[in-house]
Amino acid sequence: MSYEYTSIRDFIDFPDPYDNPFTPFLTSNLPYDLSYGLWQIIGGTIAWLINVIVPGNGVSKWLLCDEVSVVFALAIFMLVTFIVAFVVVLLNLWMERKVLGRLMDRRGTMIGLKGFLQCVADGLKTFMKENTIPSKVDKMTYIWCVSLIVGLSCFVAVMVPLSQRWYVVNYDTGLLIIMAFYALAPFFILVSGWAQNNKYSLIGGLRAAELMISYEVPMLIIIATTSLLVGSFNIGDIVNAQDEIWLIIPEFLGFIVFFFCAIAECERPPFDIAEAETELVEGWQTEYAGMKWGLIMLGDYLRGSVSCGMVAIMFLGGWTIPFIGETPIPEIIFLIKAWFVFFLMILVRGAIARVRPDQILNLGWKVFMPLAVFNLAIAVLLKIGGFY
Amino acid sequence: MAMKYLDKYPKNLAKSLWIMKPVVTAFKLFCKTVVHRPVTILYPYEKEWIPENYRGRPGLRFDRCVGCGMCARMCVTQAIKLIEVEDDNGNKVMRPQVNVGRCAFCGYCAEYCPVDAMTVTPEYELAEYTRYDLLYGPRRLHYENTTPGMEVKLEVTLPSDIANGNPERRVHIFDVDKPELTDSKCIGCKKCSKVCPVSAITMVEKGVNDKGRPIVRPEFDNSKCISCKNCVDACPKSALEIKEVL
Amino acid sequence: MADSLVPVLEAQEKMDTDKMWVIWGPQHPFSHGLWTLKLKIDGEFCVDADPIVGYLHRGWEKETENRDYARIIPMTDRLCYCASMTYSHLYCMTVEKALGIDIPEKAKYIRIVADEVCRIQSHLMWLAAVGTDMGNLTVFLWAMREREYFLDLNVKLCGARMTTNYPRIGGVRNDITDLFDRDILRTVDRFEKAMWDIIYLIDDSSVFVSRMRKISYLTREQCANMGLTGPAMRGCGVDFDIRRDDPYDNYDKVDFEVPVLNKETKVGDTYDRYMIRIEEMFQSCDIIRQAVQKIRAIGKNAPYRIKTPTKVPAGTTFGRLEDPRGESIMYLASDGTDKPYRLKVRSPIFTNVSCSKVMCEGVRIADVPAVLAQIDMCLGETDR
Repeated sequence: MSYEYTSIRDFIDFPDPYDNPFTPFLTSNLPYDLSYGLWQIIGGTIAWLINVIVPGNGVSKWLLCDEVSVVFALAIFMLVTFIVAFVVVLLNLWMERKVLGRLMDRRGTMIGLKGFLQCVADGLKTFMKENTIPSKVDKMTYIWCVSLIVGLSCFVAVMVPLSQRWYVVNYDTGLLIIMAFYALAPFFILVSGWAQNNKYSLIGGLRAAELMISYEVPMLIIIATTSLLVGSFNIGDIVNAQDEIWLIIPEFLGFIVFFFCAIAECERPPFDIAEAETELVEGWQTEYAGMKWGLIMLGDYLRGSVSCGMVAIMFLGGWTIPFIGETPIPEIIFLIKAWFVFFLMILVRGAIARVRPDQILNLGWKVFMPLAVFNLAIAVLLKIGGFY
Repeated sequence: MAMKYLDKYPKNLAKSLWIMKPVVTAFKLFCKTVVHRPVTILYPYEKEWIPENYRGRPGLRFDRCVGCGMCARMCVTQAIKLIEVEDDNGNKVMRPQVNVGRCAFCGYCAEYCPVDAMTVTPEYELAEYTRYDLLYGPRRLHYENTTPGMEVKLEVTLPSDIANGNPERRVHIFDVDKPELTDSKCIGCKKCSKVCPVSAITMVEKGVNDKGRPIVRPEFDNSKCISCKNCVDACPKSALEIKEVL
Repeated sequence: MADSLVPVLEAQEKMDTDKMWVIWGPQHPFSHGLWTLKLKIDGEFCVDADPIVGYLHRGWEKETENRDYARIIPMTDRLCYCASMTYSHLYCMTVEKALGIDIPEKAKYIRIVADEVCRIQSHLMWLAAVGTDMGNLTVFLWAMREREYFLDLNVKLCGARMTTNYPRIGGVRNDITDLFDRDILRTVDRFEKAMWDIIYLIDDSSVFVSRMRKISYLTREQCANMGLTGPAMRGCGVDFDIRRDDPYDNYDKVDFEVPVLNKETKVGDTYDRYMIRIEEMFQSCDIIRQAVQKIRAIGKNAPYRIKTPTKVPAGTTFGRLEDPRGESIMYLASDGTDKPYRLKVRSPIFTNVSCSKVMCEGVRIADVPAVLAQIDMCLGETDR
């Protein structure tokens, strides 16, 4: 390539990112395309400006070479995927407040785009608050636990693919990896419960651990069932296998069990025993205030949206519509399904009370566990019968 | 008479499908409130209908007030104080001032006002920036849209009336309680006539005493008296006493 | 190996390390007001509880000694914000007893109506609290919505929502306003329909019921020994209601049932205590209907307030009444002046909350709010 020209169009020429030998994606990836194009615009403008001032320099060349383009495009890619996940969470939050309001015969949030901006304002408010650390906590664990919980939640949230073309990694064990990281956060909840030097937090952390242990198992059994039926852990394969018939029909029991397990897994009411506010003030979050608390809430809702996404992928056909297959807007189809699942979660939250810890364990081990195994047996029968 | 709820409950919950009924009930209300509006009202923009007799802050009809101090006497929180103001003719008169910060909104001042000058008002948005602003002077207490419904009438029946078979409700029956003079205690100091807000007491000379000084005794004009008990309180020798008519 | 553990266990026993005191309150989401519950927990279970009240003590009883009788009525409203009407009713009733006067029929029925409206709205407040204590906000808001209609009735009746200042010595403050009888009948009919929604949400939900079932049993003997009164007592098989057994005003002329559960077994759990209050609301609706019919029959111009002397003859008087929360008693010692010499209030909650030690023994931590919600805490009257 020669760099003797000076027109801006010479710097911004939108090359195909997949011609670049350093592109980490093998198949088409929409957010990466967008980020690559964005870097072309930003980096190209900068390179042109530098070139105008100092013609024929090396920096302009360096900014647009293949390797550097990929690095900057990946940085923008991270931002884009996270912002999309963040906006989805904000929409979830807004929907929860509105639907719960109507359920309770009140109005929910009202100000700004039918109350949507209220969620943003509430988030900003927590960031404005003073960053307090209680004097008797174990400071390092106290701070690091919240970072890890929030970080892991964000990590899992961006890992959920929105469609065949909107993904971060496309492993063959995608579902397992999401579940593995999903199940990691409660460990840090337990640790932070210890670190806070507070009895409420301690009990809350212990409860979170027992909740996680009893609900992880049926959840994983159902994931195993699904992959047994489909024959793959790859999310794309699972979605493609539901082209004609959603997996909710052969695995209806599994759907119900997974749905409640997913509620318990992201600690939403009625399974929010870890932060049961009538008993334990705010559970393991008692000592967290201001921005840290806001981040924890963000993490909670990220996990909630991941749960909904998992249900949509595993039982409701992901981003496809039966008999139509892929539409031009698979991401929107997927999000609508995930929001429908979230709506069901809100309905359950509004209708029933918090379950007692011992009842939760009973439910997990004595009801959901056998049901999951039974569901596995049905799947095995279907597999043997040759339906899948 | 039958029990309405205990006849049907407790139920066998296995039959009601665990949590299906509450979820369906909640979903029904959700559909209803999506179509119609929820019952809540948007307070600063919409306001609830309040009846005429709503007990908001006290109101005062300045022209009716005689400054008897019955409101200050009955006030449970001592929020009312009589202060000196000029009336429309420029005369100095005593009129009530209400400290709304102390007011308990019990409505006693309006109820016991013998001339119905004190009323209740439907005004309840009373937030102010300083405590001083919460002092409502006699002129500020005035409420423009005072209607007869805002007066609290004290309709009381006398037990003797009921015994006579005439259960008639009389408005401001406390007016029949008149002060009575114990002649031997009176020293004729004229304090009662000075404090009487309606000038119902006139001091009349009744002969002379041993030293040749005139004996002055109060005489009550019962048509004017409003039974405010000011004379009883002012009497230094406890010569006056309210005689209750029952 | 077991032998080697013995000294460790003994040391644990001595140091009391395996049990932990958790202190709930005075600022805690479960405490409806300012009070503290100290819980000794052994793992998930409570082994001991210690209620501490008195944060809201404001010298109510002493304050009454400096006021004449009429000016105490607004203070009785402030005893309990939920059941203000019953407390001012009780006070007026006690003073009337001391004066030895009989109030007009119409006033008696109006007081019954006002009392039952107060009972329903107080129970709805309790129901709302049960909802939040169990972790469901929907019950809270639905119950509060129903309660709002009854507060509106209070506004129509006397111009104030909660601190009503309505009963007077010798009757009531004002006659029922125009169309009040029509409004109250409509509200009651509407309420009886709307109440079923809340019942479906609680009694048909296995989560709610299984959380209240089979915990915190109280026997009839325990109730008697601890002085537990009110719906909680009737849930444990004690068939006693002052409205029926020692009728005041005209409660003997209206027809109603006193809901009692477990008459045979004489042991009640939390769910029984819950069910009594729900049924009481329906019974109150019946009482209101009958009393409104009686008021209509009496006619518009009948007297509702008689004039009473300001001075109460010397002596002592004892008045009691069925509060929404239990049996409240006032004991008046008068010395012949226009101010009471002493006015003692027996608050039902103060006695009921002292039962929390027995109630909390052996229940799980998560059950404590559900158990103590049945007390229906109100700190205004507890601490006085």
